[in-house]
Amino acid sequence: MSDIALSGITKRYPGGVLAVDDVDLEIDRGEFVTLVGPSGCGKTTTLRTIAGFERPTAGTVSIGGVDVTDAPPYERSTGMVFQDFALFPHMTVYENVAYGMEVRGDHTDEEIDTRVAETLELVELPGVADRTPDQLSGGQQQRIALARAIAPRPEALLLDEPLASLDKKLREQMQLELRRIQEEVGITTVFVTHNQEEALTLSDRLAVMNEGRIEQVGPPETVYDEPDTRFVADFLGTANLFDGTVAAVEDGYATVGCGDLEIRARHRGEATVGESASVVVRPERFAIDDGRTGGNVFEGTVRFKRHLGSSVEYRVESGNDRELVVVRRSGTDARSVGDRLSLSVDAEDCLIVGA
Amino acid sequence: MATADDGRPGERANARWYALGYPLFWLVAVFLAPLALLVVSSFYVNVPGGSYRPGFTLDNYARFLDVSPGSGWPPIEANIYLRQLWLTIEISLVTAVVSLLLGYPIAYYLARMDRPWLRSVLLVTIISSLWVTYVIRAYAWQVILASGGILSSVGVAVGVLAEPRAFYPGYWGLVVGMVYVFLPFMILTLYTSIRNIDAALFEASKNLGAGPTTTFRRVTLPLSKNGIASGTALVFILALGAYVMPRLLGSSAERTLPVLIEAQIMGESNYPFGAAMSIGLIAVVLVFLWLMVRFTDVTAASLGGEQTVEPDGGRPVGGGATDGAWDRIGSVAAAVGLTRLVGRLGAVVGRIDARRRERLLWTASRLYVAAVMTFVAAPLAIIVAVSVTPEQFLTFPPGGISPRWYVEFFTDASWMLAFVNSLGIAAAAAALATTIGGSLAFALDRYGYRWGRLFGTFGVLPILVPPVIVGVAFLIFFLELGLAGSRTAIVVAHGIFYAPFPFILISQGLDELDRTYEEAAMNLGASGTLTIRTITYPLLRANVVSGALFAFILSLNEYIIAWLLSLFLVDTIPIQIFNSLRYGYRPTIAAASVVFIGLTVVVMVAIDRLSGGIWE
Ligand SMILES: Nc1ncnc2c1ncn2[C@@H]1O[C@H](COP(=O)(O)OP(=O)(O)O)[C@@H](O)[C@H]1O
Ligand SMILES: [Mg+2]
Repeated sequence: MSDIALSGITKRYPGGVLAVDDVDLEIDRGEFVTLVGPSGCGKTTTLRTIAGFERPTAGTVSIGGVDVTDAPPYERSTGMVFQDFALFPHMTVYENVAYGMEVRGDHTDEEIDTRVAETLELVELPGVADRTPDQLSGGQQQRIALARAIAPRPEALLLDEPLASLDKKLREQMQLELRRIQEEVGITTVFVTHNQEEALTLSDRLAVMNEGRIEQVGPPETVYDEPDTRFVADFLGTANLFDGTVAAVEDGYATVGCGDLEIRARHRGEATVGESASVVVRPERFAIDDGRTGGNVFEGTVRFKRHLGSSVEYRVESGNDRELVVVRRSGTDARSVGDRLSLSVDAEDCLIVGA
Repeated sequence: MATADDGRPGERANARWYALGYPLFWLVAVFLAPLALLVVSSFYVNVPGGSYRPGFTLDNYARFLDVSPGSGWPPIEANIYLRQLWLTIEISLVTAVVSLLLGYPIAYYLARMDRPWLRSVLLVTIISSLWVTYVIRAYAWQVILASGGILSSVGVAVGVLAEPRAFYPGYWGLVVGMVYVFLPFMILTLYTSIRNIDAALFEASKNLGAGPTTTFRRVTLPLSKNGIASGTALVFILALGAYVMPRLLGSSAERTLPVLIEAQIMGESNYPFGAAMSIGLIAVVLVFLWLMVRFTDVTAASLGGEQTVEPDGGRPVGGGATDGAWDRIGSVAAAVGLTRLVGRLGAVVGRIDARRRERLLWTASRLYVAAVMTFVAAPLAIIVAVSVTPEQFLTFPPGGISPRWYVEFFTDASWMLAFVNSLGIAAAAAALATTIGGSLAFALDRYGYRWGRLFGTFGVLPILVPPVIVGVAFLIFFLELGLAGSRTAIVVAHGIFYAPFPFILISQGLDELDRTYEEAAMNLGASGTLTIRTITYPLLRANVVSGALFAFILSLNEYIIAWLLSLFLVDTIPIQIFNSLRYGYRPTIAAASVVFIGLTVVVMVAIDRLSGGIWE
């Protein structure tokens, strides 16, 4: 049974903004689910609805099988890590971490002592109990915020872009830490980020949001390889997108006419001739100059080349102002700016998504 | 607009109205009601012998506004009330303009100087004098300006004066006193506005080849226009309502409208006529505010000290922005005068080479600052000197040092009773003001109201009403309730009149308070009240306590409202000092003043420390 269930959640703010639009989401016990999407798509609002800071205009929230839609935040068992940590500046680290147990009043002082010590151990900061938040570095504050959220053993951990204020290196390190701690505690987690890379690395499943709706939910590899919509394909990773009209359909494949060229691509659902559609091709799926002439072949000229460390990205101009992005592993198929080349891709690696 | 979906689950749907009910009770029912009653009673019929009869007559206004032709020319000359009204406006304008000319260089120097400790000292000096009761400060000027006073003694000693003469009561003595008490408001308003100019702009201007005078004319002055506008307006309005200074430093020719109003109420017991004149004074203030809002962007709220969102919004007395309208009407002639003055100065200085020029300018401005600071600080220092004189009567220079007047102050039953009254009233008024201001600030911060701006205006409205009018309105109100002449009446009046200070300070604290802290607490299981107790209040404590201390210090030093409401039955220190001044200058007055000033300074320093230098 799912641990957190959102059903038909809709939130319209007093000003009229429809921030969340009919969202359904079920999260299993111990699962790590990421809400990802561009800024303003409603991630924070969804998370705040789970925490009880916003009352949904429609729909229900249940945690641990109990409908908590009308329960105030302090009567739900969630632990939240805020974007800027929100560590109480007038309290020490110890007092911050103990706060959740103290205000609930169901722990003895010894229990609280032990729990605080254990939790600080868990986040690998046992020595800072007596410091105040402003005596901690950004990464340390992050860990204490996490410790404070999990110390009362909530049923769910909610994180709103907790790593956004850290620099890249620290952020990557904290991602691993976070996952380790989450698995150790086994807590159901909802993580919010606008950073697609972070979403892909961290999650058991991710839910891609756009304009208040969830466009797709699934494990990272599925969502990346089999995007349901053009938006999902475009938002996660890099995608070459060809917009056109379905020209012919046959058994699992379809031909899409995109102005001057036709692409044969795999389709999963119903494709109807005459319908508009987009074709997604991931940049690493192209073959360069493999001698093919039939099928999906694009002739072009390298206009731009960029080293990304372990790989190289080419921008290839291929007729009619069309620019293709191609990525190769470093050291294979090296080309220079100005080189002409021919790109081919199997129909199997081209995917039709709704426009 | 509000639907059940708004806000957070578990929040009582009516919480927003409960939260607002308390402050609105005081600010509307208890404050606006007396003002309404004031309007009504200005149409009542006076019954000679100290009472009045409900009714409707225009006689009071007729008497106030009578310009019957044939009784003299120009017509206004015939009517002493209109003449004095005009004089009130004139003196207020002179005060505002002189304060601006005198205050701008100081504000500029303070804002641009780079020794923080010295700036703190200067600011604290300016600010401390600000809160000392007008009664003591008028008394200080009497000591200075009296025949045989300091000025005349020094004049005779150096041979400028042939014989001792008095510089008060009279027009210029009054202007000096008015400038003295209102200059700090001007300096602080201008200071904030100049401080808010990005320092990089000065450097950019210099880098582009502008010398100090050009930079001043083209950068500093235009960017501080809003400060000039709000400072001038603020001082003008404060001066219009001033009672103590005109009363104690002006002669009978300088009886301003507030003085006439008080005389009608306390002297003649002609309440309807006093009310009609009060309405006249309010009308002048309103017309002025209307002109100001119409032709500049300075808002009434910003004068009350409400924080404006614009980066140039000023504290503690606020400042809005001005736009081109300001240039168009050119109504601050003072600014023009200032430019000319600086321009002329610049022409003279222009002949000296650049490096020496800048040094010279700074030296000159330092001397100037020293002179004005003396003007600000000396009167109170003189009071201190008088308080330790061993002689029975004031002599200058004093003939030694003696604690006898302090001993007299602390052992005299009537002084002590007044002292205890003052402290008790101020403490209770501070508590009331803080609960009113605090709850209003809290409600407005927490909940959106359709009329939120209006409610916010209620929060600053009381201090925009001249105190003499607040006093008259409350007096009539409390007479109806049978409460006049009690400490309760003074506490309620002060509590409401000074509620804007806690309101502004707490609003500001709530503004800066990151709401996420409260959400974090609730997320961790703390209920609404527990969150306020463990998170919100501790984080706001400095603002709440400074707000309360402000109200305390202001109530402690307030004279005219307390006097009107006392009905001769309640004594406070300012009332006692004022009354004692009639019977000569027994130095006990000085000793009482020094104790009072000391108390005021201590509380001001506490506020400053508490808030980590709120004046910075
Ligand atoms: N308190 C609020 N009142 C009105 N509109 C809001 C409020 N909070 C967020 N919004 C709007 O709702 C939409 C979704 O916001 P949010 O949930 O914060 O998105 P995200 O976290 O994905 O960036 C945005 O258009 C935002 O402007
Ligand atoms: Mg967000």
